Amino acid sequence: MTTTLEQAKTAAIPQGGGLHRRLNMATAMIGGIVFASLFWYLAHHFLDATSRTYSDEVAGSLTIGWIVGFWLGIGAFVAPLRWLIGRDNTRADDLYLAGQGQGTSRYWKFTTDHKVVGVQYIIMTMVLLGAGGILAMAIRTELIVPGNHFVNQQVYNGFIAVHGMLMILALIVAVAGPWGNFVVPIMCGARDMAFPRLNALSLWTLVGAAGLLLTTLAVGSLTMGWVVLEPIADQAGVGMDFFAMAIIVFTVSTTVAGVNTICTILTMRTKGMTLARLPIFVWGAIIAAALGLYAFPYFSLVEAQTLMDRTFSTSFFVANAGGTGWLQANLFWLMGHPEVYVILLPAVAALFEIAAVMSRKPVFSYRSAVAGMTGLAGLSILVWAHHMFTTGWAPTLGGPFMLTTELISIPTGLFFLVLIGTLWRGNIWMKLPTIWMFGFIANFIIAGVTGIYLSDIPLDDQLHGTMFVTAHFHYVFVGSVLFGAVSALAFWYPKVTGRFLNEFMGRISFWLTFIGVQVTFLAMFASGLRGMPRRYSSYAFIFEHTNLMTTIGAYIIMAGMLVLLGAVITSWNKGEPAGPNPWHANSLEWMVPTPVPLENFEVLPVITEDPYNYGEELVRS
Amino acid sequence: MSTSTNKQSLKGMLWTWAALTVIGVIIGLYAPAWIMPKSMSNNMHLTILTMVVFTVAAAPVAAGVYATALFALTRWTHKGNDVPSAGPAVRENAMVVTTWLVVSTLLTVFLLIWGLGALAVDNGSTGKNPLVVDVTGQQWVWSFSYPGTHVSSPDLYLPLNREVEFRVTALDVTHGFWIANMGVQVDANVGTITTIHTTPDKLGTFDIRCTQFCGLNHAFMVTEGHVLTAQQFTSWLASQPQRA
Repeated sequence: MTTTLEQAKTAAIPQGGGLHRRLNMATAMIGGIVFASLFWYLAHHFLDATSRTYSDEVAGSLTIGWIVGFWLGIGAFVAPLRWLIGRDNTRADDLYLAGQGQGTSRYWKFTTDHKVVGVQYIIMTMVLLGAGGILAMAIRTELIVPGNHFVNQQVYNGFIAVHGMLMILALIVAVAGPWGNFVVPIMCGARDMAFPRLNALSLWTLVGAAGLLLTTLAVGSLTMGWVVLEPIADQAGVGMDFFAMAIIVFTVSTTVAGVNTICTILTMRTKGMTLARLPIFVWGAIIAAALGLYAFPYFSLVEAQTLMDRTFSTSFFVANAGGTGWLQANLFWLMGHPEVYVILLPAVAALFEIAAVMSRKPVFSYRSAVAGMTGLAGLSILVWAHHMFTTGWAPTLGGPFMLTTELISIPTGLFFLVLIGTLWRGNIWMKLPTIWMFGFIANFIIAGVTGIYLSDIPLDDQLHGTMFVTAHFHYVFVGSVLFGAVSALAFWYPKVTGRFLNEFMGRISFWLTFIGVQVTFLAMFASGLRGMPRRYSSYAFIFEHTNLMTTIGAYIIMAGMLVLLGAVITSWNKGEPAGPNPWHANSLEWMVPTPVPLENFEVLPVITEDPYNYGEELVRS
Repeated sequence: MSTSTNKQSLKGMLWTWAALTVIGVIIGLYAPAWIMPKSMSNNMHLTILTMVVFTVAAAPVAAGVYATALFALTRWTHKGNDVPSAGPAVRENAMVVTTWLVVSTLLTVFLLIWGLGALAVDNGSTGKNPLVVDVTGQQWVWSFSYPGTHVSSPDLYLPLNREVEFRVTALDVTHGFWIANMGVQVDANVGTITTIHTTPDKLGTFDIRCTQFCGLNHAFMVTEGHVLTAQQFTSWLASQPQRA
C-alpha cells in the first residue's frame, strides 16, 4: 500500500510550469510583505497627514498591498498574464500546476489538483481552529474568576472579536473546504473541478485573508465583537481596518469557491449521474455554495461601508453624522443568518452520507433530505431580523420575523427524521465516524430546542445579548458542526491518506470533547439564564460557579482536540492501512484507487443507479 | 431481525421515550424558576412561564430522538472490523414523513400562537397613567431622569404596581438596557428613542446590566435599581436635588 505522498514522490516532475517552479507560500509571504511595505510607504508620503482619518487610510492601503503582493507571490495570475501576452499553458505546464511528482512541496504551492486543494483546506481548517481555540482558552482563562487578572480589558475585547471571526472562517471551510474539494468532483464522476485554477485561487485567497486577520490583534484595539457592531467599530483602532479588509478578501475566496462548486456539480457530472442519483453530500455542497453566493456579498458590502466610514469620512453607520447602526445590523445579519446554514448544511449532508454507509441502508427519504436542505436555505434568507428583536428597529416586524424563524423547525425536523430513519433497524457499524455522528445527534437536539426559546420575542427580550445566546450557538457550532466535521474527517481520511484515523485516539478524543461540550455550554446556559450578558471581561460573584465550570469544560474540549490533532498527525503516515474502500461504500470516490491518481478516472464511469443499494432484498416497511 | 424482537425493542423504546419525556417535563417545570432571576414584574412572570411551556412542549420531541438514538446504540449496532450485512432497504415511507411533517407543523403553529399572544401582552401598554423614565446610556454609565420633575439619578427608582414606560437613548455608542428581573430589554441607540413597558410587582433591589457590547468597560456598566412603595417613591423623588 503506497500513500498519496509516496506515489507523488515516484511520479516524474513534468517539464514546464515556467515561473511557477519558483513560487510557493514563502514567495507569497515575501510578496505580501514587500507590497504592503510599498503601499504603506506611498500612503505615508502622499496622503494628508493632518487628516483625521490618516492612520486608517495608511492601514487600508497597507492591507491592499498585502493581498496584491500575496496573490502575485503565490502566482495566482501567472497563467492569465501569460495568456494575455499570447502564450497559453501547455499540457506540461498544466501537469506541473496540478502538482504531479512534486511530493509534499505541492501542498505549499498554487496547485490546481482538487485533491491537493482539499488537503490544503484540511490544514487551513486546523490552523484556523487552532488559532481560534488558543484565543478561546485565553478568554476562558480570563473568566475563571471575577476581575481582570490574566489580560486587560482592551486585549480581552480584541480576543473575543478575533476568536469569533477565526472560528467562523474555520467552520465555513471545515466540511465544504476539504470534502467539497476532495470528494465532490470524484462523487460527480469528474476529473477535477470546473475551474481548477480558481480552486487554487480560493484557497490561497483564504490564506491571505487569514494572515491579515491574525495580525489584527497585534495592530490595534478591536472594540466591536466579531459582528463589527456600529457605531462602536468607529472607535476601534487601525486593527479594525485590517479586520474589515480580511473579511472582504475572505468573501472573494468564498465567492470564487462557491461559483466553482456550483459549476462543477451542474456541468461536470458523468454520464448517468442524474440529480436524483447524486450522493446526498453533493446536494449539501451545492445548496450551501448557492446560499453562500447570496449571503457573502452583504458581508463585503457592510465591511466596505465600515472602511469608507473610517477612511473617507462617509457616515453610513456613524449616528452622530446622520447614519445608523441599524443599517449595519441589517446588512450584517442578512449575511449572518444564511451564513449559519452555509456552515451547517455541508456537515448535515455529510452525516446523511455517513449514516447511510455505516448503517448499510439507503438514505431514508432522499426527497425529504433534499427538500429539508433547500427549505432551510430558502427560509434562512428571510429570518435575519430575529438577531435584532431587542435593537428597537421595526418592532411591528417582530411578528412576521418570529413566524419565519419558527418555521425553521420544520426543515430542521426533517434532518432528524432522515438521520433517525436511516439508522432505523440498520446494522450500524460502530466506527469513529458513527460515534461522532451520534454526538452530533445528541448535541443538535439541544441546539435546536434552545433556538426555539430565542425565536420567541418575549423570551428573547430576556435572553438576547446574554451568555444563553453564546451557549446556544456554541451548541450549534461546536456541539453540532464540529462533531459533523470530525465525523466527515474520520470517514474520508482513509481516502486521503490510505490509512485509518487512529480509532483509539479518536474515541478518547470523542469522549473528552463530548463531555467537555456538555460541561462548558450547559454551565454557560446557566450563566445566561441567571443574567450574565455576553462579551463580559469580568462578572459579578453570583456567576462565579457556572463560569468556573465553563472554563473547566473548555480545557477538557482543548484536551480532546489535542488528542484529535495527535491522531490526525500520527495516522497520516503510520496509521492502519485502509485500502481503497474501507467502508464498503458504493459512491464513486470509493471506486477509484487510493491514493487517487491525478484526474481520478482512467475511463469516466457510467452511472445506472444511486449509491445506496446495499444488495438487501426490499422489505415491507 | 424477527418480528417479535422488533416488537420488543419498540416497546422498550416507548418506555425509554416516556421516561425521558418525564425527566424533560420535570426539568421544564422546575429549572427555569430555579435558575432564572427572581421575578419582579408582570413581564418576567410571562418570560418564565413561556420558558416552562416551551421546555415541556419540546420534551417529548427531544426524548423521542434520544430514545431512538439510545436504542440504535444498544440494539442495532455492529461492532468489529468486518463489514456488517446490509440493513433493510427502506427508501421512503410516506406515512412516517407525512406524520412527522404534520406533527412538527402543529408544534410550530402552537409555538407561534403562544409567541404572538405573549408578544401582545409583553409589549402592550395598559395606558393607565404610566410613569415615564428617560434612560440615557453612555460609556459606561446609565442615568435616569423623571420628566416633569427635574430629577436625574444614577440609580433607578421605581414605584410598586405602577406601569413604567422607559424611553431609552444613548449618547455615544449603542448600549443594551436590560433588567434581568423584569424580563425587559431594548437597545439604547444614539439619536433615537426606543420604548419598553413593564409593571414592577415586587419590592426590592435589582441590577441593570448592559447587554450590547460597548467597549472597554462594558462588563462594568452595571447600575442598581430599586422598587419602592408609592409613598417611599414620592418622598424619594421629593428629596432629590432639582436640576434646572
